Amino acid sequence: MIELPDLVAGGLAAGTLSALVLGGGLLRSRRQQAAQRTEITALRAQHDGATRVFMAEVEHLAAQRVPAAARRLAHPHVVVPGPLDPQIAGAPLGLALENVLSGLRAELAEQRTRIDAAAQAGMRGATREIQAALYRLQDALRGLQQRYDDPELAQTLFQLDHENEQSLRRAQVAAVVCGAWVGLAREESHLVEAVTGGQARLAGYHRVRVHNHLEPGTALVSHAVEPVAIIVAELLDNALRHSAPDTDVLVNLEHVHHGVCVTVDDAGLGMTQDERARAQRLVAGSEPILLTDLGDPPRMGLAAIGRLTRQFDLGVDLSSPSPYGGVRAVLRVDSHLLSRIDPVEHPPAASTPRSTRRSAPQAPAAVSHGHDGGEQSHGYGAEPSDDASTAVPGHQASQADAGGLPRRRRRTRGATPAPPAPEQPALRPEEAAAALGALQSGTAAARGHTESARIAVPEETAVPGHQASQPDASRLPQRRRRTPGATPAPPAPEQPALRPEEAAAALGALQSGTAAARGHTESARIAVPEETAVPDMTVHDTEQTDYEGGAAR
Amino acid sequence: MTGRRAGRPLVPAYLSTGGVAQTGRPPLERLSVLTRSGVPVATGLSADLPAAAHALLDALEDGSLTVVEAAALLRLPVSAVRVLAADLIDQDLVLARPPIPPAERFDPDLLKRVADGLRTLKHD
Repeated sequence: MIELPDLVAGGLAAGTLSALVLGGGLLRSRRQQAAQRTEITALRAQHDGATRVFMAEVEHLAAQRVPAAARRLAHPHVVVPGPLDPQIAGAPLGLALENVLSGLRAELAEQRTRIDAAAQAGMRGATREIQAALYRLQDALRGLQQRYDDPELAQTLFQLDHENEQSLRRAQVAAVVCGAWVGLAREESHLVEAVTGGQARLAGYHRVRVHNHLEPGTALVSHAVEPVAIIVAELLDNALRHSAPDTDVLVNLEHVHHGVCVTVDDAGLGMTQDERARAQRLVAGSEPILLTDLGDPPRMGLAAIGRLTRQFDLGVDLSSPSPYGGVRAVLRVDSHLLSRIDPVEHPPAASTPRSTRRSAPQAPAAVSHGHDGGEQSHGYGAEPSDDASTAVPGHQASQADAGGLPRRRRRTRGATPAPPAPEQPALRPEEAAAALGALQSGTAAARGHTESARIAVPEETAVPGHQASQPDASRLPQRRRRTPGATPAPPAPEQPALRPEEAAAALGALQSGTAAARGHTESARIAVPEETAVPDMTVHDTEQTDYEGGAAR
Repeated sequence: MTGRRAGRPLVPAYLSTGGVAQTGRPPLERLSVLTRSGVPVATGLSADLPAAAHALLDALEDGSLTVVEAAALLRLPVSAVRVLAADLIDQDLVLARPPIPPAERFDPDLLKRVADGLRTLKHD
């Protein structure tokens, strides 16, 4: 029975031991739990913080960075802010947010180009129509200018034409900026014409002084004519706009080694370094043009120049300041865009400034006439058929004088204003000439009367050049009709003031005098035919009446 | 002969006179005859003259022209040439003679009758 307490003691000991073990385990697990709890709390706090930071970054992205990035596309000076916490810039979150921005930027740029292209297409279509309509209007206005010469009406027509040119320039420039063709095919033209044509498109064209130092005949190939005119017009427009209204804008046309330079100088404000850089970038035409970049209202001039310089291989430089204080713009036209037009055959328009140079082969004529190569000798009232006819000594002599220069071109059109005179079919020229030649000798008696009348004519004294040119037939061409008629007598061709009564008196005296002179008729007739051969063929009707009137006096 | 250049003229007419079509004086007639006066262009004045005025002076250098002829030669409207000529007349560089009015010309019929009469006399 002694074993019982042992058993009890053993059992107790075992119980105590296990209690101790259990208690220790419990204690450990409790401690562990507490540690875990603090860890969980810490983690939760950290997680909450991270979420807050993330939310803040996303909100910052949406509120600040995305709008800034979008704005930056249009305005490069806008600064896109970085993340709120500079620490995350390099972290995955920062990189992910950057990717959002770059994706947005790419998509926006693409959309912007697409929208701009659509806008340009719409504008191109509209301006093209307007431009065509304005050209039609121009045709109508120029037709009216030719047809009506009432000064008041002409003044109005000039104003309308100028207004039309200005509108045309705007429409054309807008079209060019939008990528359209210049809209007009021209033929090869003198370079100075293109420059003057560009000048005429501006409101302040009075202030432009063009100095032409080019060889006469320097021309542009056909496809470069209109672009050069547009570029010059835009450069001049800038110069005129940015200089005081009482200053001149100087244009110089000069040969350079690789072609021709058109230099535009203004005495205006000039440009700052930034403006100059921007202008230079625009005119270089290397960047694509967006209408939305051009401001409101869009400033299209430089952009149009940029388009054209790239398309037509022209060079424009705005980088140097002008010695006059403003801007110096230089348009360079390379040799491959230049050609040559015979300045005698196709002289430049009358309003274009004359070259300060004289071309070498035409030097003699140019010097003797004080004219630069475009010289044309001409005779008053001669006809196109003069070219073929050899019966005009005065004219021939002048041709020889001029050293083979073509004669004046007016002939083709000069005859138009003359009113049609009645036909004189019954009277053959030979007969008329013979009869009138006989008259001339009979007039001697009546001459005194005529002479006194002639002296009284005031207009005659007003035309010394013409009078003087007659004896000098070898040098100056003269009215052809006078040459045959003038052989026997020196009647002044223009004696308009001889009044009918006087004429009648003279003729009355003649009539009586002619009877005696009739014997001369035969000899006169023999002498006459060669000379009158030409009047028969070519003399204009009005001239014929003129001839008779002159000779009968 | 010089051909007229086809196509649209590059330089509009108003540029020749600076947009002026009216002058203080009564307008010249279309058939008024213009002549160089022989007065040389002063060097100071030469720069002030518009280019078209120089062209007109050059055209008149070799003889007289009527206003319409000068207009056709310079390829300008008559109204522009009138202004140019009026300026040059004011500066005594050009002289103008009014056209002969038709009434003061000899009647061609009368002259024809005279010639016919002479011929009949001759054949008698």
